[in-house]
Amino acid sequence: MKKAAIFLGMAMLVLGLAAGAMAHSPICTCYDNGDGTISCEGGFSDGSSAAGVNMYVKQGDKTLLKGAMNADSEFTFKKPQGEYKVTFDAGEGHQVVINGKDIVE
Amino acid sequence: MSGRVLAALAGQPNSGKSTIFNMLTGARQFVANYPGVTVEKKVGYFSQDAAKVELVDLPGTYSLTSYSMEERVARDFILDDNPSVVLNVVDASNLRRNLYLTMQLMEMDIPLVVDLNMIDVARKKGYEIDDAALSKLLGVSVVVTDGKRGKGREELRELLARSSDEPGRASPFHLDYGPLEPAIGRLQRRLSLDESLKDRCPRRWLAIKLLEGDENALALAKNHASHWGELADNLERERQEYERQFTLPPAQHIAFKRHEVSDNIARQVLRVKHPGMRSVTDRVDAVLCNRFAGPIIMCAVFYSLFELAVNQGGRLAAMVTPYLGQAQAFLENLLPAPGYMHEPMITSLSSWFMTSVSALLVYIPQFFILFALVAILEDVGYMPRMAFMLDRIFKRFGLHGNSTLPLILGGIYVGGCAVPGVMACRAVPDERARLATILTVPLMNCLAKTAFYIMLVGAFFPDHQAGAMFFISTITLIMALPIARVLTMTVLKGRETAPFIMEMPTYHLPTVRIVLTRAFERIWIYIKKVLTIVAAVAVVIWALLQFPGVSDTQKADFEQRGAAAFTKFEKAIAGMPLGKAINNEGDLMALFAFREDYRAEKAAASGNRQASKGVDAKFEATNPVFFDAVKHRHSKAYKAFDRLRKARAHIWRERQQARINSSLLGRAGKFLEPVSKYAGFDWRVNVAMLSSFAARESATATFKALYGIGNDGRYVGAAMRNSAGGIPITPLNATALMLFMALFPPCLATIIMVRVATRRTMWMLFGFAYPSVLGIAVAIMVYSGGGALGLSGWQAMWVYYGLALLFAIFMGALPVQKPTQRTKPTLTKGAYIQ
Repeated sequence: MKKAAIFLGMAMLVLGLAAGAMAHSPICTCYDNGDGTISCEGGFSDGSSAAGVNMYVKQGDKTLLKGAMNADSEFTFKKPQGEYKVTFDAGEGHQVVINGKDIVE
Repeated sequence: MSGRVLAALAGQPNSGKSTIFNMLTGARQFVANYPGVTVEKKVGYFSQDAAKVELVDLPGTYSLTSYSMEERVARDFILDDNPSVVLNVVDASNLRRNLYLTMQLMEMDIPLVVDLNMIDVARKKGYEIDDAALSKLLGVSVVVTDGKRGKGREELRELLARSSDEPGRASPFHLDYGPLEPAIGRLQRRLSLDESLKDRCPRRWLAIKLLEGDENALALAKNHASHWGELADNLERERQEYERQFTLPPAQHIAFKRHEVSDNIARQVLRVKHPGMRSVTDRVDAVLCNRFAGPIIMCAVFYSLFELAVNQGGRLAAMVTPYLGQAQAFLENLLPAPGYMHEPMITSLSSWFMTSVSALLVYIPQFFILFALVAILEDVGYMPRMAFMLDRIFKRFGLHGNSTLPLILGGIYVGGCAVPGVMACRAVPDERARLATILTVPLMNCLAKTAFYIMLVGAFFPDHQAGAMFFISTITLIMALPIARVLTMTVLKGRETAPFIMEMPTYHLPTVRIVLTRAFERIWIYIKKVLTIVAAVAVVIWALLQFPGVSDTQKADFEQRGAAAFTKFEKAIAGMPLGKAINNEGDLMALFAFREDYRAEKAAASGNRQASKGVDAKFEATNPVFFDAVKHRHSKAYKAFDRLRKARAHIWRERQQARINSSLLGRAGKFLEPVSKYAGFDWRVNVAMLSSFAARESATATFKALYGIGNDGRYVGAAMRNSAGGIPITPLNATALMLFMALFPPCLATIIMVRVATRRTMWMLFGFAYPSVLGIAVAIMVYSGGGALGLSGWQAMWVYYGLALLFAIFMGALPVQKPTQRTKPTLTKGAYIQ
């Protein structure tokens, strides 16, 4: 009994660390509109809409912009100067991070 | 050598029976159920020479009493279906114990072939088995095989195919029951006088079984004997007389004798080359089942399973998704295209069906990894050890040591997925615990639920985020364990349980072929089931969401708004090249299609500047006017089209919502309001909840609007609720909603998996109904009870936590019921019992 209890405790700890699980993977694609703006479209692998999902634009540790996918699962923002990253944040540990370098016209 | 042969495959668990089955039949296998029970019936076919052999894989059993469902199924098949030959797979490295089943098969008077399997393992242990002597002693053919490496395949196939030529030749072998023989003889004579019992089963077998007090044999005699009363008196007299004389019940004497004879035979044919050497298995067990190292290694194994199957599998699934999407898009193209405002019913039903199917097919990579890893663990022999270590905790809650894996995959803490969780329940050997596990896995915290909790916690408990997340992540297990116990004491009462007999097989290295075969075989079964079950369930849910549909006035209103948006668009593009290109609805739909194709190709080329430019060039060349409207954000054509596109999407969404609200499901939401209002849910929340289950489409957004959560994730006031004069939104409301969500089944796919795993529609419906009712009861308790006591949402959480914990401890402390007792099985050495 004691052994099993110790085990359960440890399992909880380990699995707590593994909270980054995902079964329905988030999907996010961004396009450079060629006019100084970037548009991202999101969704989930099971076809769910991404409306309301939080979006962040970051430069290093600095958050430039915080917003959310609109009802059409779209998010458009002004292209920042220099390097940046876009985060599609569907919940703790379930994020898609897109490097600005990979967002092409 | 011609004609058809019906052959049955019998053997003890871990004798390598499935390996032999796969070796003989290859890919030609079918799975069904034995009539009336949840035991799987696997049938395979092969042709050898001119004979076509149908091979039925009987469930693996240690014995042939009527003690468990598996044993009864195996026995009834041999008695009723009259196979022309039974192939008895015997683990050569555990000869003595395996012969115990062989003894019983021979008593059934059937043509038998003994397959001395796993000879490689036996040889490694230093065993030498004289198969010729064994064949002579038993009076049946003995074939030596090494199923893992496919050795002995041809010989077995030929022997089985030939059995059609020599029908009905049973072995002359006769197990001598010593002092019980006179009683057996008398009973046998008595039975042979009974015309109606004569041809039902072998007389000597029936006589022995009746003396054993076997329930099914007694039932058989009772139903068919012409003078049952007289026979029963006779039988009772014989049993009492024997017990008086030898102070031992006949049943025990019979079991002892079988062991004694098995032992004798094994002694005569087996020679151990290096006795006394400590086996590899013992040395490995010293580490893996060690007091301290054991649990740590087990954690590591669970963690790797979870990481590989759920996380890495998820990543793989994300890679497969676009292809599934493409396949679906291709098929949808074949359907009548939706118009500007009108969607043909066949298109809507078909795409709903395809979405439901692909929502389940997307799990294939995860399942493949999961099945392969589980096959490796089974093949190595680690699974039973894992279950053995955990069984003591789980059995207190009516679960089984093997319930661990399903619960972990389902998300014992946060972020699992119930679909592979339910699928993994097949490893739970005991029917009652298996059903209890299947019914509680959906209560775990899957990713969809986790995302939902994060949203509510962020909005309503901004100062206690970590605490509130801890609450919801751990409360689910605290609720699930006592629920499992309650289920086993109520609805699952009387379901069969097996005593915890867990054989600790010798460790062996897994073979790639077996692992892959097993994984592919299970995936294939999964795909077949998904297609058939989804077809039924998806259509029903679609109809519930669709009918009776919106009123004519509403319909006309949507039509008119659509027409107005189109007119506005036409005005905006008048005189432009786009205006000339678009003259009717058909042209407009071509533009929509153009945009879709363009976006799809752009997404495929994402990250590659060269390829991305190439896509632009291609589309511009195809139709420069359309290209302008989908590419250049500052062009007039783009803006006009963008407005129209969004207006149309908006109207479609609203119409969809209106359709759901007026559908049968929507009516159910309204119907439930008088009850649900005590939980703090008005009818719109009910509808959102019910439809989020059916189609998770924009569930988060709907709830954000309903609960007044802004885009920054903070609570901004009940924007939507105020207008309806609904229930005020408070953190207490959010606590009730979270607890309801924790209990509510996560998605349609899960419920379909419950149907797949239990093979009963009734369990699927129950698996949906009981958590819903329980969820609403808990939410009412928290919302109305907490409100009456003046508790805040945060306080109510912990009061509830304390109560749930007390309940869990109470349920765990209740005495554990004994497994269902029938004829008491005799335990064999090498099998552990708890």
